[in-house]
Amino acid sequence: MTNLKVFVVVILTLGGYTWVANAIPQLESVVPVELSFSADVTEAELVAAGEELFRGGAGCMTCHGLPTRAPNLLSDHAGEGTIGQRCDTRVEGQDCKTYLHESLTDPTAYVLEGFDPMVFAAGLYSPSQIWAIVAFLQAQGGEVTVTGQDIVAAREAAAASAGSAAASLDPREIMRNTLCFGCHTLGDEGVALGPSFNEMGARIDAERIRRSILDPNAEIAEGYEHLAGSMPPNLGELLTDQQVDVLVEFLASQR
Amino acid sequence: MRDRGLAARPGFRALLPVVVLTALVALFLAAEPALAQEYTVREYGNFPIIGSRAAIWLAAQLHLFFAAFVLGVPMFAVVAEAIGIYGGEERYDKLAKEFTRLLLVSYSATAIWGAILVFGLVTLYPRVWGYLSEIFAVSMWLYVGLFFFESFTLYLYYYGWDHWKKGRAKWGHWGLGILLNAWGTAVMFIANSWLTYMMSPPAEVTPDTAPAMVQFWSAFANATWMPINIHRLIANVVFGGAIVGAYAAYRFLSCRTDEERAHYDWMGYIGNVVAISALIVLPFAGYWLGREIYEFNQQMGTTMMGGFMSWLWVVQAFLIGVLFLTGNYYLWVGMGRIPGAERFKPYTKWMLAVLVLGVIVWATPRNMIANRDEITAMGGQFHPFLGVLGVMSAKNTAVNLMILTTFLSFLLYRRANRRPVVGWARQGTTIQGAFFVISAAIVLFYGIYGYFVPAIVRIGFSVYQVLAVLTTIVAVVAIDIAMMRGSESRGAIRWGQMPERSQYALFILAVTFTWLMGLMGFARSGIRQHWHVFEVMRDNSVDAATPALGYASTIISVCVLIFLGLVAFIFWVGSLAERPVISGVGSEPVPTPAAAD
Repeated sequence: MTNLKVFVVVILTLGGYTWVANAIPQLESVVPVELSFSADVTEAELVAAGEELFRGGAGCMTCHGLPTRAPNLLSDHAGEGTIGQRCDTRVEGQDCKTYLHESLTDPTAYVLEGFDPMVFAAGLYSPSQIWAIVAFLQAQGGEVTVTGQDIVAAREAAAASAGSAAASLDPREIMRNTLCFGCHTLGDEGVALGPSFNEMGARIDAERIRRSILDPNAEIAEGYEHLAGSMPPNLGELLTDQQVDVLVEFLASQR
Repeated sequence: MRDRGLAARPGFRALLPVVVLTALVALFLAAEPALAQEYTVREYGNFPIIGSRAAIWLAAQLHLFFAAFVLGVPMFAVVAEAIGIYGGEERYDKLAKEFTRLLLVSYSATAIWGAILVFGLVTLYPRVWGYLSEIFAVSMWLYVGLFFFESFTLYLYYYGWDHWKKGRAKWGHWGLGILLNAWGTAVMFIANSWLTYMMSPPAEVTPDTAPAMVQFWSAFANATWMPINIHRLIANVVFGGAIVGAYAAYRFLSCRTDEERAHYDWMGYIGNVVAISALIVLPFAGYWLGREIYEFNQQMGTTMMGGFMSWLWVVQAFLIGVLFLTGNYYLWVGMGRIPGAERFKPYTKWMLAVLVLGVIVWATPRNMIANRDEITAMGGQFHPFLGVLGVMSAKNTAVNLMILTTFLSFLLYRRANRRPVVGWARQGTTIQGAFFVISAAIVLFYGIYGYFVPAIVRIGFSVYQVLAVLTTIVAVVAIDIAMMRGSESRGAIRWGQMPERSQYALFILAVTFTWLMGLMGFARSGIRQHWHVFEVMRDNSVDAATPALGYASTIISVCVLIFLGLVAFIFWVGSLAERPVISGVGSEPVPTPAAAD
């Protein structure tokens, strides 16, 4: 009898928890759809794909469905209507499409007062996906002006940029493309997290600079021990020998 | 004359090398297309009926349940043995031994589920396993070595119990217990590095980084490694205490003599005290882990608290509410067997009211995804009434007051049959009361003030609230220990005289802790979403989407049911081999002051 009673208590407890968890709204984290639209994509296709990303895999609803975290895009914000109605009034002279696209690709570009910069890793999404989200947002009370041409142009620009990054021998451009300024400063550019590039040549010699690029964790600059391991160790693979030489020469000349 | 056969003929002998060579060439040519195919590791395997994800989920969760038990129990076995040595009370030593006996039989189950998990990963997720084993190969061998030492230390610890019973040998035996904990903790820390790497790989690791290029220590000591270590360490104590409590409850319900009943009543009480005491500090470790997740990746943090997992925290609040209510209920019922506890009975209804209100506030949702219909039904983004209670100010206030109330329950239980004899007892009690009142006032003040300041300021208030509660707990316990030194007894605790319903409360505690552990495991693993290794290795399997809570809860319930079934079987097998070690707690006279509990 004791065994039966214990079994019933266990089953009822488990059953209760399972029931509660099944009774609440069921939200699944869906995988972002891989999109690759051609120039003849229709407006309906773009908007539908954008909605799926917005409500699902891109996780936009996490903040933009909640007025406390970010402006609500689908209903209203500060009495200005939905995002499609208000997007072309944000920046003077800038159309809705450009404003939304820049907001997605550079989340720090236009931050509304009282809110933090958007948490969105645009690099994880293809041009087709980004433009699909823009089309969906335009469709919220506005006119959809995104076309297949935007996607083709973005794709070509991305390819050209990748090509030029690979071939570039301009030290500043190399540094921008490899995100050096995310942690180092040069003049007014960059974030002062790691050692500054300013006057680097006066502090360390060219050989040390080369070692720091190719094997960044071999020798950590004094005072920056806490950042050990944070610099990408694969710059030697990303850059050509010629690009490394250009960088070393440039940084060694900063005195 | 016997025929010597074809092989003995000279002509054939001369031809033999040619025949063999031709055969070999023919064999090679026949096999050549197969040799020409490059061997590639397949990404995923298939598990029949339930699918690969569910199979790995079950194996991992069951392994973790057993691992948590065999790591949690030695912690308080060693503490109980130390109390026995220092305090000279043999019953604690016997209790520690019985805990260890439970541990012994659970050990092989942990290893079996560990092996099932590894074979499951190798056959169902070969690419992920290959990737991880290339990065963590060294620590995997170290893990095996430490597990070996841990096992043999456990054998020495248990089987040497009666051999090394007195004098310096007893201290040596206790040292074995410490060593057992050290091995176990190291083993857990190593395994934690693998799973936390999947959550928070170092920033320099990208999808293009070959595993051989990933720096070992940077991968091992990743952003969430230490917070998970600490959180699991405490949670294991909670879990171990709860399972021991359930074991004691079962034995209590089935035993036939008063002596046995007294022993298991006392054992259940100790299990509950350990579990609830550790539970009280667990949320602080949880805050730290949450903060580290946000610092590692804001998007991951937001997904966890406000994204598709937002409802999970409502369910978690409901479960923790059950734990607080059930734990306190067990203590209040237990006061019925303590002479002198009647004087505290009128307070229980007020404590119950605080706990119920606390649970209601804590379980009130606010930040969650709602569709248009739901927003319309609520009359806005937030429910006009519930929205006010759903904010962090209200929730932090609620949980801190619940912790204070539970601590008060423990204090009243502890003091129920004691009469202090020190001259400053009245002043001491007044100071203790003042600590409670002041800390509750601080918690309430910052809770209300939080509504009138920006979010960034409000977050800092939770630190003041937590500090107020922790200070009260430490100060009140310190005063109580000093005040109760040499205190008189109001009568011996009548161990064993507990209503049966109290023992079912211990079962509910154990089931709830176990289920909650499964739920938190889902939260930790699920926030990676469609990544095996977050933003480094994508999940390309058919199960890449993270399931909703309903499906997860079904898997968790199945895991808990299998675990409890196996534990019941293991304990039953253990009981066949050896009679329980009865402490004699109920039969001993309790004439000395303050020695009753």
